[in-house]
Amino acid sequence: MQDDAPIFGFNAAREDIVRTVVSRVVLSTKDPLLALNDAAYHETKRLEASKRGPEEQKELAEWQRLARALGRMPDGERREKLASIVEHVGWDVAGNFDPRVFKVSSKLLPPIVTYLLAPRTLVRLARDPKQLVSLSALDDKVRVEGPVEELRELSRQGTAVYVPTHLSNMDSIVFGYALERAVLPPATYGAGKNLFTNPVLSFFMHNLGAYRVDRRIRHNLYKDVLKTYSCVLLERGYHSLFFPGGTRSRSGGVERRLKLGLMGTAIEAYARTLMANRERRVYFVPATINYLITLEAETLIADFLAEAGKGRFIIEDDESSRVGRVTAFMRKMFDMQGAVVIRFGKPIDPFGNMVDERCRSFDRRGREVDPASYVKDESGRVTLDPVRDAQYTRELGDEICKAYLRDTVVLETHVVAAASFERLRRASPASDLFTVLRQRDVVVVPRDELAKDVVKLRDRLVELADRGEIVVGGFLRTASGGDIVERALRAFAGYHASPVLASRPEGLAIMDTNLLFYYQNRLAAHGMAWDVIAPPGMPPARPPVFAPPAARDAAQGGLS
Amino acid sequence: MTDRQVPSVGIVGGGPWGRALATAARRTGAEVVLHSRRDQPGGLGAQLRSSERSPQASTADPGLHVTTDYAEVAKARLVVIAVPSSVARSVLRALGDHLGGQHLVVHGVRGLGVEGLETVSDLVREETPARRLGALGGPVQAGELIEGRPSAMVIGSRFPEVITAATRAFQGPSLRVYGTNDLRGLEWASALVGCLSIGVGYAEEAGAGPGLLAALISRGVDEAARLMAAAGCEERTMLGLGGYGDLLASIALEDRPEVVLGKALARKVPLDQAITMAKLRVEAIPLIPRIVRFAEEHRVDANTFGALSEILAGGRPQAMLDRMFTG
Repeated sequence: MQDDAPIFGFNAAREDIVRTVVSRVVLSTKDPLLALNDAAYHETKRLEASKRGPEEQKELAEWQRLARALGRMPDGERREKLASIVEHVGWDVAGNFDPRVFKVSSKLLPPIVTYLLAPRTLVRLARDPKQLVSLSALDDKVRVEGPVEELRELSRQGTAVYVPTHLSNMDSIVFGYALERAVLPPATYGAGKNLFTNPVLSFFMHNLGAYRVDRRIRHNLYKDVLKTYSCVLLERGYHSLFFPGGTRSRSGGVERRLKLGLMGTAIEAYARTLMANRERRVYFVPATINYLITLEAETLIADFLAEAGKGRFIIEDDESSRVGRVTAFMRKMFDMQGAVVIRFGKPIDPFGNMVDERCRSFDRRGREVDPASYVKDESGRVTLDPVRDAQYTRELGDEICKAYLRDTVVLETHVVAAASFERLRRASPASDLFTVLRQRDVVVVPRDELAKDVVKLRDRLVELADRGEIVVGGFLRTASGGDIVERALRAFAGYHASPVLASRPEGLAIMDTNLLFYYQNRLAAHGMAWDVIAPPGMPPARPPVFAPPAARDAAQGGLS
Repeated sequence: MTDRQVPSVGIVGGGPWGRALATAARRTGAEVVLHSRRDQPGGLGAQLRSSERSPQASTADPGLHVTTDYAEVAKARLVVIAVPSSVARSVLRALGDHLGGQHLVVHGVRGLGVEGLETVSDLVREETPARRLGALGGPVQAGELIEGRPSAMVIGSRFPEVITAATRAFQGPSLRVYGTNDLRGLEWASALVGCLSIGVGYAEEAGAGPGLLAALISRGVDEAARLMAAAGCEERTMLGLGGYGDLLASIALEDRPEVVLGKALARKVPLDQAITMAKLRVEAIPLIPRIVRFAEEHRVDANTFGALSEILAGGRPQAMLDRMFTG
């Protein structure tokens, strides 16, 4: 672990950070009346709709009082009010980082797992913290891939922004663990406040994430504080972790459109270091988190189908809040090799250029570029320009989405789900998604036929992988169709509540069509599975073009 | 106005279009560096060399500097690319050695890559470190710029400062410059208008009346807009000056290469001869069949483009009308 990473000094700097955030937000608020009205309106609406305890009741009354008084308030008083609200929000967002707790909690995953599997061990653990379960217990369950050496060196040269895909509430824990495994310094993380109240995950969250994001709060002042907070942290060299998808992928698909708000703060942070004459470069590390099975798959896909887009933004009662399900999930994870694969992608600068281990930027033709040149105006001065930076960030978002596709790691459940789902579609051709999904326990596929389909799909995925457009791991690459199906069955069984594929004398019956849809969606953006999950305004992915079989055979020396 | 405030523009491409843009920029008082390949016969270099001997030597203009060195062009912050699309990649790669993140790169190249339908700004992004990019479009013609006849041009960029810089460099009493932030849309619109202009020339020569011509243009624009939506652009960009406006201008522009080509084809001139008659390279010829394929892949009705494709393949004049009105 790098003990010199800035986060270990976080507590000393926290007060200073919050003050900087508060003064920047207050100064940049041009119209305090509008900002306060907006905040009062959204907070009143939120609190009225929520189940209120005495605390919330008091809060609501305060906002209502403020809303009534605002119109008559002199400007000076408004400014004061604004400052006090921003300060309150600022401290609420700023979390804790206790290095002592971090040292424990970064190694927390195994003991927590142990606790979940056998709760009494925690008592022993509390008595003797040295009795931590060795991290190596997870080594072959969780695979960490990518240019780790380069990233390690890079983390000493600049400030990292990790931007992984997002499937599960386990992600932040799993990713934190991956950083630890890769001997990379810890990253600050804007964890959803709901995770702090989640009875299972709050245990991990406290003291891990450096700040809290309450996604129920919708007013602009709050968003300003969050962005400014993130910017100040990056400016000061704190490595950060964002999930640019914004929320867990409901469909199970790889993100194709990102929420750019927080990512956009990176350019401002970099420009500010230049303006202060202490340049510190910022680089992005796209990453994928790939699960053989997803903890919350059932709830997420149900949500996707129920809303077909509208989505409940925060789900507070899914599998991740039920100790029993988390335990079952962990057991499964422990049971299977390579159940989770975290793959770091190649680092890029905020302008989409490649970055080497010394944090130098290179364009696509390999020429070195000075990243500062992108934030300079006509006269060569470094400027802050939100419109310009938003556009850079948009293009960066496109680059990150491309990296997600390249670094998606195909696992057995995805392939078997895609092959099964294709069978479902063929059983009711030209049907809409919901008609296809209704065919529960209707289609039975003989095992060897499914195995054959799986091999065909696997071979095309391998071809795609050889072109660098996706990643296919070792087992999947070489295993027989039957073994791949077996492994997927084993992964599904024992975790998901109802059978996904049920064994019958005549073959495998397709049971949980929703879950198969969920897992096949991981390949949809590559055009390797039915793509009905493309974001609005984006054409569905089309199957990639493969070399004609004749040419392939010739290349293989005419094997047939 | 002090010297510092005079915008400095670099233009790459010594052909008629590059020369016209240089003239337009000079008219606004901009200091212009123009890159022209030495070995280009009949290019600006040759013309300037010959004009040096004439009494009205244009070298008398101290604000226009012609060079064969990309480094000279890169001294300007705003660099305008005005080369044929066939050489765009190699020019950009060479130019890219001299560019940095500070440059604003705008191109005035009509056309899309035939392989992957990539836009020229995609090429700029691949071949250079520049990121603040833009494209020029709209109905303005080289001749109008050179003679100073009033016309209109569109600058598309997602970066307001690029729109500002291009407007400052080119807008004057005889040229109105409009801005749009749909860069990709403007590039697609320009390319598709190039295709449709062939149809306009063809229909005119084949004796189509105003009604038929109007139907052809409207339906073509409608198809183009839907194609653009499928390509992730804004449909309305096709309905603006960079699309519809540009196409309307082709009715009156008898010497527009695409129109000349279309007319020749209507007279049953074989394609290779028709290309020679158009004098300039017509970027649309390889593009049309590719667009038809794109339309099929994305399930967009594009009968006008289908008909154009048949005409290029030597189809009979009637084919076009049949395709248009049976779709």
